[in-house]
Amino acid sequence: MTVPDLSPNEKMAQLRPKEPMGPRITRLVVTILIVVPFIWAVVGLEISPERIYRAPAEIWVLLTGMFPPDFDDSGRIVAKLLESIYIAWIGTVMGAIFSFPLSFMAATNVAPRWMAIPTRAALSAIRAFPELILAVILIVPFGLGPFTGALAIGLHSIGTLGKLSSEVIEGVDEGPIEAISSAGGTLMEQMRFGIVPQAMPTIVSYWLYRFEINIRASAVLGLVGAGGIGAEIVGRLSFRADWPKAGAALLATIAVVLVVDAISSSIRRRIITGQPSRSVLSKGMIAITGASRAPSTEIKS
Amino acid sequence: MTTLAPGIQTRPVEPPRAATYLLPLGIGILATGIVGLTGPVGPLWGTLVGLVTFGVLAWTNITRRWIDALILVVGGIVGLSFFDSVLAARTGKIDFKIALLAGVGWLVYGAATGIVVYRHRSEYRATIIGLQALSWGGGATLALFTATAMGVLAPLNARQISNGEIQELTIGLFVVTGLSAAAVGLGANLSFATRLVTLFATGFVLVLTVMAYNEIQFSTAAIATQLSRIGEIADDFWPPVWKWRKSLGQPETFNIIEPFIETFQIAIVGATIGNILALPLAFYASRMTAPSNIAYRVAKSFLNVVRTIPDLVWGIFFATAVGFGNPFAGALAMIMFSLSIMAKLLSETVDSIDIGPLEAGRAAGASHSEVIQYAAFPQVRPNYVAYALYIFELNIRASVVIGFVGAGGIGRLLNERRNFFQWDQVMAIVIVIFVSVLLIEWLSIWARRKLV
Amino acid sequence: MGIIDFTDTSVTYPGGLTALKGVTLSIEKGEFVVIVGLSGAGKSTMLRAVNGLVPVAGSVVVDGREVVGASRSELRSIRSDVGMIFQTFNLVNRSTVINNALMGRLAQVPRWRSFLGLWPADDKEIALRSLERVDIVEKAYVRASDLSGGQQQRVGIARALAQEPNIILADEPVASLDPVTSHLVMRDLQRINEDLGITTLINLHFLDLARQYGKRLIGLNDGRVVFDGDIADVDDEVFRGIYGRAITPDDLVDK
Repeated sequence: MTVPDLSPNEKMAQLRPKEPMGPRITRLVVTILIVVPFIWAVVGLEISPERIYRAPAEIWVLLTGMFPPDFDDSGRIVAKLLESIYIAWIGTVMGAIFSFPLSFMAATNVAPRWMAIPTRAALSAIRAFPELILAVILIVPFGLGPFTGALAIGLHSIGTLGKLSSEVIEGVDEGPIEAISSAGGTLMEQMRFGIVPQAMPTIVSYWLYRFEINIRASAVLGLVGAGGIGAEIVGRLSFRADWPKAGAALLATIAVVLVVDAISSSIRRRIITGQPSRSVLSKGMIAITGASRAPSTEIKS
Repeated sequence: MTTLAPGIQTRPVEPPRAATYLLPLGIGILATGIVGLTGPVGPLWGTLVGLVTFGVLAWTNITRRWIDALILVVGGIVGLSFFDSVLAARTGKIDFKIALLAGVGWLVYGAATGIVVYRHRSEYRATIIGLQALSWGGGATLALFTATAMGVLAPLNARQISNGEIQELTIGLFVVTGLSAAAVGLGANLSFATRLVTLFATGFVLVLTVMAYNEIQFSTAAIATQLSRIGEIADDFWPPVWKWRKSLGQPETFNIIEPFIETFQIAIVGATIGNILALPLAFYASRMTAPSNIAYRVAKSFLNVVRTIPDLVWGIFFATAVGFGNPFAGALAMIMFSLSIMAKLLSETVDSIDIGPLEAGRAAGASHSEVIQYAAFPQVRPNYVAYALYIFELNIRASVVIGFVGAGGIGRLLNERRNFFQWDQVMAIVIVIFVSVLLIEWLSIWARRKLV
Repeated sequence: MGIIDFTDTSVTYPGGLTALKGVTLSIEKGEFVVIVGLSGAGKSTMLRAVNGLVPVAGSVVVDGREVVGASRSELRSIRSDVGMIFQTFNLVNRSTVINNALMGRLAQVPRWRSFLGLWPADDKEIALRSLERVDIVEKAYVRASDLSGGQQQRVGIARALAQEPNIILADEPVASLDPVTSHLVMRDLQRINEDLGITTLINLHFLDLARQYGKRLIGLNDGRVVFDGDIADVDDEVFRGIYGRAITPDDLVDK
């Protein structure tokens, strides 16, 4: 079954447009912009076909070397993991406490321009330093140990949380603020009753989200001697005989991060939607706390 | 305003709001700090706690009457003086019995707050008084006992307290117990009988914070000391040194560019390959487009596990596998890093696509991969491009530090200079990193804005 | 034997809902069949039973091939000969009109060619001719989202035509359109049926359209066929039998 050609007359009535060149040129330019730097990078890094060919076998050797994991040192692993969690927690608390006022100062709908612009610049300057580099610098005055790690993570968190929270504050509905100011409310009252109720659920969920990220960050700070599980993994990977122990540390880290992620994201969902999520875990929490009887609007308001 | 006839409409009980205690909590922390610095004076401490509680009650519109403030302050003074004297009079360690006895002081104070709340919220009946008293008293006992068990008060337990040392040592005691009790109490204050979850959450956050604070030996004193000698520290780092000898006998050269370019190359390879590999994975990890339930679960769990592993751990892993100091390892790590983020972001976008075109594709006899390419992908293409740019930005940031684990790039140089304690050279590298990260961020924001 | 043979065909969804209950009927090659019924009566399900988009039990034979129990590739091959038109058009909005029409060629083109977007000239020609047939070729390189509803539905028809199908299934093709455009689209479908001899099955909500354009009418109620006959035999009484109630202005497109 084919679509028969129309008669010449009918064909004349319709003009077939020419395929436009624009999208083709764009596609070509984009392709060049991706392919050329990619080839430059591959050549520059000396990634030869032979390297790529060898890699899977090398990775396989390491993987099989790590398994079965050796949990003999589990006491030490647990202690170091706890330390990582503590570092991440204190870093997050620091970030939350200090970024909260800063985020108001950086929001253009609250703060005057002369204050918002420098605050914003300061926040993005803080953010430009990765945690690990902050830790390298902070080790000089504060020495090796988890305290330095927490400071590094806390500082970086101030930058990221400050930016995210100020964006939330800028995104709030202006209506209630206008209503309060027209009723004679001061700037403080506008913030308290107009902005905080709208922005708070999202900001708190960002705090939790930051905690998830900080757990990962604190897991690597051990590399520079700033505490946590990182040193355990790196140290153990340097000696082939220790690979099973490194495997154990790595597995434990993955497990902890997965659990923290699950808890944190279920709380975040609860905060944002105001509804309890239906995971087994939160059911357990409800059973323990009796939270389901609480009005579901509490955190939303 | 005219008053309506009462009794026609029933007024519902005002539900408390979680956000309202955040500010009083901040004041509480500040107050404890001040009290801690001035020493263990029961009456002063009690007055402050009473006033803070009054602040909370005023804030939540429960009462603004001065008689209530008086009740709270008197309750605070009596309760806390008792608490203070129990701790001062004891001879041995703080065991559970002493903690319990000292807790009675807070119990008295809790009763005072209960009376005040009952005066204005009689619908809660007398249970509120008991609940308040119990939560304050219980909170304080628990806090005191955990603090002891955790070793915060170890120095206090170890030796006989002399008059000179008592002030310094009790600062910690007061900060810990005061903070925990005040916070748990405040939570109880606001939660009344129904808000157990607030109580639970506040208590959990506080206990975890105190524990973590203690475990990592957080020290505000150290921060203060180091801030005061910031000039000295800056001398180590400043001025930055841009040129140095690679090895003895060689001329001083500017050595930052080469590893810096390597960092860029690692980011480019990682982002490009990661973004390409993420495409099929993202469609497998969305219920909308997964070919089967099993494929969906496998893809989703794989992504969850990959996402758990920090970029630097990938770096260590691949550096161990393919050789230390090899930028190839960095590129592999960046591939995993990009892959996991892109696949997550994109699969969440795919979750919300219109399934109509997919059905149309299937109805036309297209295979599963054709349906994805022609009906699903065009719907998320703009998002894909925006995410790809964002991931390139993240890659630059991440590949800067990947060298720390021997995976190539500028991080390797930074780590090397650090190990030689050449802080002024470290500074030069940090400045280069700082400027380039900022530039890339601006560029990426600009490009994304252009696209949208 | 017709081009489509339903024999005791049932459809039960995974949720447990049985939408089609033991339908047996035959549709001859070149017929123009209109299916009517209340919403939820099983109209859409009946169409989707033809190309196996729903879980079918019993037997549906399309052009000599059994749909029930067909393997994935057999099903794809059946579907490639059956064009489908949707109420919500189901176009890929961000793609161009020609790319939407080319989706009808996917089953015929080698995978590596469609992967790279290197469509054979013949297939492109078929897509363009399909667009010409529904008078929309001048919009070939415009994004589908930039078209009006009527134009979008014509692209939907072109996509079905590009499959060079033996059968066209149209699921409420005019329900999202205004009355004037509805008539245009119905006339397009009628012309395609008459000119090309493609067997056409249409679900319709509007009774006057059914009467005006249909030749054979099938009435469904609660998953069962309650009427099957020539449109000339259909009066208000028959509609009442299918709908279980009197006809209201809501059932007509031209009120």
